[in-house]
Amino acid sequence: MRAAIEVIGLRKRYGRTVALDGMSFTVLPGRVTGFVGPNGAGKSTTMRVILGLDAADEGSALIGGRPYRSLRAPLCQVGALLDAAALQPSRTARNHLLWLAHSQGLGARRVDEVIEQVGLGAVARRRAGGFSLGMRQRLGIAAALLGDPPVLLLDEPVNGLDPEGVVWIRGLLRSLAAEGRAVLVSSHLMSEMQDMADHLVVAGRGRVVEDTSVADLIAAASDGRVTLRTTARTEAMEALARAGATVAVQDRDTLTVSGLEAGRIVALLGANDVPFSEVAAHRASLEEAYMELTRDAVEFRATTPRDGTATS
Amino acid sequence: MRRELRAEWTKARTAPGTAWLLSAVVVLSAAASAAVAATVSCTAGGCDQDVPRLGLAGIQAGQAAVAVLAVFAVTGEYGTGMIATTFAAMPRRGRVLAAKAAVLTGLTLAAGTVAVLASVLAARLILPGNGFTAAGGHPPPSLADGPTLGAAAGTVLYLALIALFSLGAATAVRDSATAAGVVCGVLYVLPLIPRMVADPGWRRLLWQATPANAGLAVQTTTHLDDLPLGPWEGLGVAAAWAAAALLGAWLLVRTRDVRA
Repeated sequence: MRAAIEVIGLRKRYGRTVALDGMSFTVLPGRVTGFVGPNGAGKSTTMRVILGLDAADEGSALIGGRPYRSLRAPLCQVGALLDAAALQPSRTARNHLLWLAHSQGLGARRVDEVIEQVGLGAVARRRAGGFSLGMRQRLGIAAALLGDPPVLLLDEPVNGLDPEGVVWIRGLLRSLAAEGRAVLVSSHLMSEMQDMADHLVVAGRGRVVEDTSVADLIAAASDGRVTLRTTARTEAMEALARAGATVAVQDRDTLTVSGLEAGRIVALLGANDVPFSEVAAHRASLEEAYMELTRDAVEFRATTPRDGTATS
Repeated sequence: MRRELRAEWTKARTAPGTAWLLSAVVVLSAAASAAVAATVSCTAGGCDQDVPRLGLAGIQAGQAAVAVLAVFAVTGEYGTGMIATTFAAMPRRGRVLAAKAAVLTGLTLAAGTVAVLASVLAARLILPGNGFTAAGGHPPPSLADGPTLGAAAGTVLYLALIALFSLGAATAVRDSATAAGVVCGVLYVLPLIPRMVADPGWRRLLWQATPANAGLAVQTTTHLDDLPLGPWEGLGVAAAWAAAALLGAWLLVRTRDVRA
């Protein structure tokens, strides 16, 4: 399968700040690739380099094997949403799409199609400056879809959308991928990728920390751990710790146990007369898996004042 | 290049500011020309006025609207961040600059022609009342007169060159306020500097190098020998400023990262 986007060893500094430090990954057609990482990990810069807006100091980014700036009608190859607020507020939504269409040799009919597709038909002739962030986000997506491109690149598209909008965009991206398009979606929130992405590129400090399928990532993070539900949390923790397990508190009556298999846990709790209501193989959330991965890559991290341990 | 032109034309046509600013070019020019015509008089004692130049004096006001139109054609995009969308859609940035320049030139030539015609008309209506009559040997300006027609056509071209200079300067500096400051400085402050210089040689040289002084020499129809530069040479100075600004803009825009 030919890669739709190839990012090869990108390096980029802004003054003394290293924005990209050897970023490399590929995006394949037919699936949604999530591009996640904390703020400052280099996601937006990578996207700007792919689109030929910023020049990398080293490395290259290719669309279907070619540099973006050599494409003839680029919006028919790559549809992009970078910053939904980036439009002239006095122009109507339809006219904004119209000049974009004209820049690609497309006509007004295509403009009306995408406006309907994103649900902005009723406000097409209103000034975009009066739009809510969610409406601007839809307008930005309309612009990305304008050239019916085989590759889509969306920077934080869920930002500012109401719950209905989030569900809509999830479905839209999934169906675009199902049509065989390559979809790259960035987000700083891993939870947004749940039920949306098939594949994940996790970035931290300007490079790729992990490049994996969502299923593999969750399996790895869940590996060998057991969820235990009990009303006698303290007794359970003592009993299991004595047997050499590592126990983490998940919430008021739930513990996550690693280092012991489920059968042995049941036996231990029985022998120590500790009541419990559930013992199950742990299934990590995408969020948890992500935290595990980026623990070292987070640049700005809040410390809780009481014990000084790091959280994020 | 056709797509770039079409896109930039659609942008210009759909920005509400365009129509207002083009009207402002006409209204400001005509109003200022009328005001100048109303305040000069040709008395029996002496009437040594360059009448066509008087009639076109209001262009000095109208050029401000031309400059603003040109500046906002670029900084309006940088200020909002839309420039990233523009350069993502049209990655050949030199062509985008050329298309912007072409659209702006067309609009300025059209508005400039109307502004010049309105100015001349205002002068023709007002000047006879102040003693400028054909009978007295000082006819009001007429486009049937060769030198006057030349001055009028040259003025329209001057406005187009100011638009191109402003476009180039604005593309180089990207920020609205900075660009407006630079262009206003060149149009309205720079022309004052030669007057502050005592040395005649320097004064002459500075006058020749200032686009607003030298460029408007094209409006002169009398006492041409007193000018430091010929009318069309003067327009050449304005053209050189426009070319330099566009060249600088082109060099910068091609390589620079697209940041607002």
